Amino acid sequence: MMPPANALLTARNLTKHYRNVVALNDVSFDISEGITGILGENGAGKTTAIKLFLGLLPPTSGSARALSQDASESVSVRARLGYMPEHDCLPTHVSAAEFLTHMAEVSGLPPSAARTRAADTLRHTGLFEERYRAMSGYSTGMKQRVKLAQALVHDPAFVFLDEPTAGLDPVGREEMLALVRKTYREFGISVLFSSHLMADVERTCDRIIVLQAGRVAQSGEVKHFTKETETVFIEVDTNREQLVAALQRRGVGVTLDHGGLTIEGPDESVYDHVRDALVEAQAPLRRMAPRRRALAELFRRDGDDAIGGTP
Amino acid sequence: MTAPPPPGGTVFDIGYQRYTGAREGRGRGRRAVFKDGVRAAMGFGRGARAKFLPWTFVAILSFIGLIMALIAGAADRIGGPGTSDQLPSHGDFYGIASIILFVFAAVVAPELLCRDRREGVINLYLVRPLTGSDYVLARWSAFFTVMVAACWLPQFILLTGLAMGDPTPVQYLRDHWLDIPRFLAAGVVMAAYVTTLALLTASFTTRRAYASVFLVGLFVITVPFTAGSASEIGGTAGRWISMFNLTNIPVHVNDVIFGEASEITEGAPAGELPKMLLVAWYVLWTLGPGAVLWSRYRKLTP
Repeated sequence: MMPPANALLTARNLTKHYRNVVALNDVSFDISEGITGILGENGAGKTTAIKLFLGLLPPTSGSARALSQDASESVSVRARLGYMPEHDCLPTHVSAAEFLTHMAEVSGLPPSAARTRAADTLRHTGLFEERYRAMSGYSTGMKQRVKLAQALVHDPAFVFLDEPTAGLDPVGREEMLALVRKTYREFGISVLFSSHLMADVERTCDRIIVLQAGRVAQSGEVKHFTKETETVFIEVDTNREQLVAALQRRGVGVTLDHGGLTIEGPDESVYDHVRDALVEAQAPLRRMAPRRRALAELFRRDGDDAIGGTP
Repeated sequence: MTAPPPPGGTVFDIGYQRYTGAREGRGRGRRAVFKDGVRAAMGFGRGARAKFLPWTFVAILSFIGLIMALIAGAADRIGGPGTSDQLPSHGDFYGIASIILFVFAAVVAPELLCRDRREGVINLYLVRPLTGSDYVLARWSAFFTVMVAACWLPQFILLTGLAMGDPTPVQYLRDHWLDIPRFLAAGVVMAAYVTTLALLTASFTTRRAYASVFLVGLFVITVPFTAGSASEIGGTAGRWISMFNLTNIPVHVNDVIFGEASEITEGAPAGELPKMLLVAWYVLWTLGPGAVLWSRYRKLTP
């Protein structure tokens, strides 16, 4: 199967075994421009997939192509890729400016350009004022920003972010998610966002790929997933049971929920049925609101509690 | 009439700019790791603490070269011309300074590898257009360069001192010019050996102190042990035991280069073995650990 013309990453029948352990099992997908979330519990194969795209591991079979190059054949493609690892990876004894300049040079930029890019990137990630301080004195949030900055300093076409919100407090998490969105929407750098937190992925990503035990369990647009699970929540003062019966007579699926009732996957006509049913049941309407399920709720509904939810 | 511009400047946020300049690839990456290795080894751009150890060793080595030159100059003046020929010179320097050079490498070289692995920075190198082989070769080259400089500097001080101490410096240089390529070559031999052993040891630990203590212990213990055992056992077995004196291995090659035994290896039983064997033994002790070091980094992944 040919990858789409705009695909930045392409996996075709990609399989990776570590001795007897199957990390990825014959997966195929394409990742194009935008922010794509890769979701899965620990051991689902997320990090292995990233390493295969970066050419750090050879696939057991199949292919992993990044920016139209076979990642395992040449390291040159990494000059246009960025990677933010999950774990600590920063030297403590140097300043962020010095470290980023060095990393830009290691990525192939000439020294003067590397210095300029380091300063610019630190400004865009909100560390400009702190750039000459040794990183040993940085908070967790600042370290996460430096990790993101080093992934962007050489202006990659695509960046892999491995659990970028790990260890952050709620405010730091919000700021990091905003930076991730900014990375694509303002900088134009496409992102693969690896996480086990669905809430983060839902609020940040355009598309998701869900990995389970080395296989692709789901993939598609985030809004598509949530649209499919739109509901209408109705709360009435009295005659709730009569209203349920009236709706069911009209063929509308209803579940009782938190003192109200929820209508699954409504289309435009359902509002007419609700109006008629309310009249028939003589149920005074207190509240009626459309609602989308969170991704976490969706996967829990499908019997997959393990992937996560809000932290 | 237009209003005068406000005092001070105006900062415009021009937003994120894509990089459209040159990308120099793997070669630039290797050079960056090399440059960073030299800075880490010598403490360039770092605080006084980082500079203290390497520059202390450089000072000690230079001091040895200076003292040798001063003694030679004084000997000629007191004992008459030619007296200094009997004193230690270029061919003896590496033997005399070998233990200092080993301790220098043991203490400083681990800084180039251990810290990157302990802090996880190695993971960021390996996701850039650089292989594990590129990384370790650049680090090796960086410390090798530092060691070569540390070997050559005292030799040039000694050469300058000896030439200046001679009544006819130009004639001295004409008579002894061959010493220059010899001590340059012997310096390279010494630097390659200590760099490789020190970095190999550093590749097994993330703690610089462990690597340093192990290396210093190894060099300090093997010297008296092999010297004592070799002289006690004697014969061919004694000569072979003497070959395991780790500080003498590159000094034997130094002797081959200068064509005579140095002060340190004069009495070493290994010196009686064929020159080719001594050179081959050195090559084995340099290439062998070098191959192990390379294999440890070749397939390293984050």
